[in-house]
Amino acid sequence: MNFKDHIIIFTTIFVGFWLDNSISSFEVREYLPILDGIPYLIETCIGFLIFCYWVYAMPEKLHSSSALIYGVLIDLCFSDAIGFHMLFFVATSYVIHVYALRFRIFSYFQLIIFFAGSAVFYLASKYLIFSPGNYSYLLLIFSFFINALAWLPIYFGMRYLRRNLV
Amino acid sequence: MARSTPTYTPAGKYALGCFISIVLLTSDINYQTFSSIRSLTQAAGIYSELTFQYFLDQGVEFTSIRSNKKDLLRANQKLQDELLHLQNKIFLDQQSAIISKELFELEDGTKKLFEDRVAQSFQVASFDLKNYLCCSSHTLHLKNPNKFNIGSNFPVSNGITFIGQTSGSNLNLIKVILLSDSSHVLPIKIADFHCNASGAGKPLAIICLVSRNSRSSDLQINDLAFTSGMGGIYPNNVLIGKIKSIKNINIDEREILIELNGDPLQQNYFGIFL
Repeated sequence: MNFKDHIIIFTTIFVGFWLDNSISSFEVREYLPILDGIPYLIETCIGFLIFCYWVYAMPEKLHSSSALIYGVLIDLCFSDAIGFHMLFFVATSYVIHVYALRFRIFSYFQLIIFFAGSAVFYLASKYLIFSPGNYSYLLLIFSFFINALAWLPIYFGMRYLRRNLV
Repeated sequence: MARSTPTYTPAGKYALGCFISIVLLTSDINYQTFSSIRSLTQAAGIYSELTFQYFLDQGVEFTSIRSNKKDLLRANQKLQDELLHLQNKIFLDQQSAIISKELFELEDGTKKLFEDRVAQSFQVASFDLKNYLCCSSHTLHLKNPNKFNIGSNFPVSNGITFIGQTSGSNLNLIKVILLSDSSHVLPIKIADFHCNASGAGKPLAIICLVSRNSRSSDLQINDLAFTSGMGGIYPNNVLIGKIKSIKNINIDEREILIELNGDPLQQNYFGIFL
């Protein structure tokens, strides 16, 4: 895989994380008075799911070093603690590599469950490490469904990009 | 579905990657090893956002048809900004006068020191809304076009009360850590009761954890909380908020949740003592 492909892949992951940030910053409770007083409930993991897609779709091309570099760049770009995304990208990449052949026989529904579950695990770890006071099971449950809904558009969108650009 | 099968990847490389990541993460969380790099990239990100926003605004202004309504809205926004600017200045001048008076009464010599301090208003450059709404880290960045030398621990006001303190600056952007940030500690007093309130990690909330045997049993919901001036950063007797709830969290401890008065989301300008 050449440098241009890495740039394209990283750009899609970057845009995903940027979207996550933008969605999280949108205070829906301000516009819907009925939600006033309800705690923060939903967090998307679009960037993480996009990374998962690329490893899932091209496991022979994205190895530990790519995951490590994408991780450190995301940590730097989004001002997270250095090492957090590195760790998760490398670990997720390993799991996807190990089960890459098994994923081929998975249905879309099984893929949705697996990747939404991975996203929730990532989210739970993030909250436990950086913000344990705000950790909530309700947030994880709602986020699971939101990320499950997000997987198919990400899957088809990234597949279109992969077939046309990478 | 992907069309190819994966190549063999040795687990050792992944283990090494995980080990490096864990070392970096631990050192960053525990010792803030990369905080300067992070602050720098954060400041660079804010600048790129501001630049993008500027060009976007210019583009929109260039292409849009100017209508009376739009002009009025813009004038209204400008006046609101001016009002906030003035409000901040008045509040900080009042605080400055109070401090100067107290110091004069205590010791003539030290008065000169505070007379030199002036209050300045700064516009918000970026508000970390994502973390403010969900997580423990509550920060914002202020523009510093005049390049004032602002370090850490300067009190920041919204014109009504204090909302936090400065935490250094990078690339002429002043970082402000809000009272509700979980790493912030504010000495407060409620009637005769004193405690160190730490940020709750939730918007507009700080928490006092106190012993159940202390004088906290006299406290009631809606009692007013003031700065005690003990930390040496904030002046004494400024209204911060009121008690929202009192909970016994175990047999020894009680949690007093204080709802803050100053909502940082409502302002575009904040004042800092220089």
